[in-house]
Amino acid sequence: MTPRPSRVVGLDAEPALATISLTWDSLGFDPLIDHYRVYAVPGESALAEPEESSLLGKTVYPRFTHAGLDPEGETWTYTVLAVTDAGERGEPSEQVVGASRPSVTATGTALATIGDFDGRTLEHHLAPASYAQIPTEHPDRVVEYVDGTDEPGTAWPYLLPGPGDAWAGGTAYRARWTLALEAVPTEDHDLALWLVDTTRLGGVLRVGANGEHIADLELPAGATRGSREGDATVPGSPLRRAFLELRVPAALLQAGQNVIELELAEGGWVAWDALGLFARE
Amino acid sequence: MPTTAARAPFSRRRLLQLSGASAAVIALGIDARAAHAAPPPEAEGMFSLGVASGAPRPDGAVLWTRLAPEPLADDGHGGMPAQEVMVRWEVATDEGFRGIVAHGRALAQPALAHAVHPRVEGLEPGTEHYYRFRVGRELSPVGRFRTLPAAGAQAESFSFGLVSCQAWYHGHFTAHRHLAAEEDLDLVVFVGDYIYEYGITETNLRRQGAEVGAAHRVEIETLEQYRLRYALFKSDPHLQAVHARAAAVAVWDDHEVQNDYAGPLSDTGIGEEDFAHRIAVAYRAFYENMPLDVAALPEGPETDITAGFDVGALARFSLLDSRQFRDPEPADAVEQHREDRTILGAAQEEWVGERLAGSEAIWNVLANGVVLVPITEDRTDMWDGFPAARRRLLAQMAEASNPVMLTGDIHRHVAAEIPADPDDPEAGRLGVELVCTSVASDGDGAVTDGYTEDWIQHDYVKLYDGRRGYVHVRLTPDEMVSSFHIVEWIEADDTAPKQLTARFTTPAGEPRLIPA
Repeated sequence: MTPRPSRVVGLDAEPALATISLTWDSLGFDPLIDHYRVYAVPGESALAEPEESSLLGKTVYPRFTHAGLDPEGETWTYTVLAVTDAGERGEPSEQVVGASRPSVTATGTALATIGDFDGRTLEHHLAPASYAQIPTEHPDRVVEYVDGTDEPGTAWPYLLPGPGDAWAGGTAYRARWTLALEAVPTEDHDLALWLVDTTRLGGVLRVGANGEHIADLELPAGATRGSREGDATVPGSPLRRAFLELRVPAALLQAGQNVIELELAEGGWVAWDALGLFARE
Repeated sequence: MPTTAARAPFSRRRLLQLSGASAAVIALGIDARAAHAAPPPEAEGMFSLGVASGAPRPDGAVLWTRLAPEPLADDGHGGMPAQEVMVRWEVATDEGFRGIVAHGRALAQPALAHAVHPRVEGLEPGTEHYYRFRVGRELSPVGRFRTLPAAGAQAESFSFGLVSCQAWYHGHFTAHRHLAAEEDLDLVVFVGDYIYEYGITETNLRRQGAEVGAAHRVEIETLEQYRLRYALFKSDPHLQAVHARAAAVAVWDDHEVQNDYAGPLSDTGIGEEDFAHRIAVAYRAFYENMPLDVAALPEGPETDITAGFDVGALARFSLLDSRQFRDPEPADAVEQHREDRTILGAAQEEWVGERLAGSEAIWNVLANGVVLVPITEDRTDMWDGFPAARRRLLAQMAEASNPVMLTGDIHRHVAAEIPADPDDPEAGRLGVELVCTSVASDGDGAVTDGYTEDWIQHDYVKLYDGRRGYVHVRLTPDEMVSSFHIVEWIEADDTAPKQLTARFTTPAGEPRLIPA
């Protein structure tokens, strides 16, 4: 009686850090699509017919983020099909192979970290929802954190506010992370800044080391929920994780004390998952 | 948006605009006299989601049910097979169904989650009716509705209940239990947040004795999830009792789709093109689960839930959509105060203006999702975020006699006299706004809370109560009596007695709330 949905076409897999982003062409609204079903098997393997045991997820949107992948990088084979309002299933799409990019958190050697790279803000100070205390505890709008002395649960607020946050005074906050290196680095290092969520405003996170500017990182628009919820790994969580990793030139670092500076120059807060400085192996 | 004050009962033009297949689906879900279907499945408990009626007229109403022998089946299809099922209905003027005055058939189809929306016509005006459905040998519970008085007739009175914000997981629907027991009840007006989209987890499940499966623990996005969420909320016996008790009309607020969404825009950064898919399934599920006319059946992410009807010469109701056409949250005060900023959209502004200007009714009742009277500048999700649009609506309301706004959203009972000019305290009042508290959202609640001062700082706010409940309103040619009922608790169980926390009289021609 009701038509079978068309076959999904245009399936594409974009590699990213610890994630693979799938997109395909929308099938429109007639018949109304209840949801798309995304099937995946590890590696470059052929899916004969998608089996329910390999159902990765369902989504109403013509896109799906396969998140939480091993930071070392993973390869998967995907296929997608549509289900209509009447429960009719369409033919599976062509198969597409995707691979995630490895993270420095897996390929490098950690020299200093704040928090665990686990998709949660929960180990940080004031998490998951007591953000209102941040402006009170940091009247000068600066967060100081000393590696080896401070602990995330007492000294690293889970949010770094920005000018878009009226509750925090509508100004740019800075975090100063002091850490010691045993010797002058001979090779470039990598900085991993993992976020559990950002605000709908997005923004700019200004990164520097020892007074020298390194980069202005564009913050993606997020779900604006990480101020109240702390675990992005809960199934169906609306939190939008972001993985920012960048090179820190060896010339900017020195033996002994170093200061990594993070300033939320534009936009709204970031909710921290973890931060780390990594040496290349 | 309808361009005329009266909506055509069954818009053939609209049906013809749809594709052939879709039109057939809809038509059969409304009237299936000539259709044939396979024998019904042997399942029992087809009517586990109850019955409802709505879209009342002097000559009839829309009847509703959704077949669901397993209402909480994860796929949202209620345990129904992927086949069509014939549903018979009958309407009588007596509870024993000895005097059947109308009957018909509708086809329950998988594409509409086996919901049917037959429109009954040809009934006597101003008359109590009883209805029921039958599938195979199984009979549904009996529902009641009263046809509206004949056009222009001078009705002696008309009573309705006002409810909103049914966060099922925050507590029991005790308010509905009491509303269903009201002896004087011609209509129930739902003013938004009939469902909530949030995942139901141990952190927000405050309804003691309730448990939900894994399928309910995530924020809903797909059609099957929205269908399942309606099924969960509608499985409540007290909500079913309210629907069976009287005809219902409904406007929505944000949670029928997503918290604080605005027009095509998500509040959580989902791209506009993507979000259209979620709006489309959310709007569809709203239609499937409410006793609505076919005009509310969406085409993709667009639909029309505005509706208007007259209660004889006593009252004219206009139901507004304050979500679908609104401008985004303002970035700053300049944008907030822009003259062209709108919450209803241009077409709906024109429509409601025509309905108010052309009305000869004594009472002109509007219903919408968010509070109209000024409270604070930062409440930008309410009409406070749309001051220019509010001035335009107030000017339109001033053209009609005895305007009344019905609202929900805030989980508090509030009664307010509407300032004629929010910028001029000396300008007097032009009407009355009745804001019903939540049925369940926010759990037990308390009389006062941290927001009380924001509201009662205004001399035109006459009541603030943060407990759960409903409002009962009785209109007569001489006065409107609004009774604000509360229950002391809802989290532990559904046994709390109802209490009257305030009652006001509004004399016709005098836009005041006089304690009664």
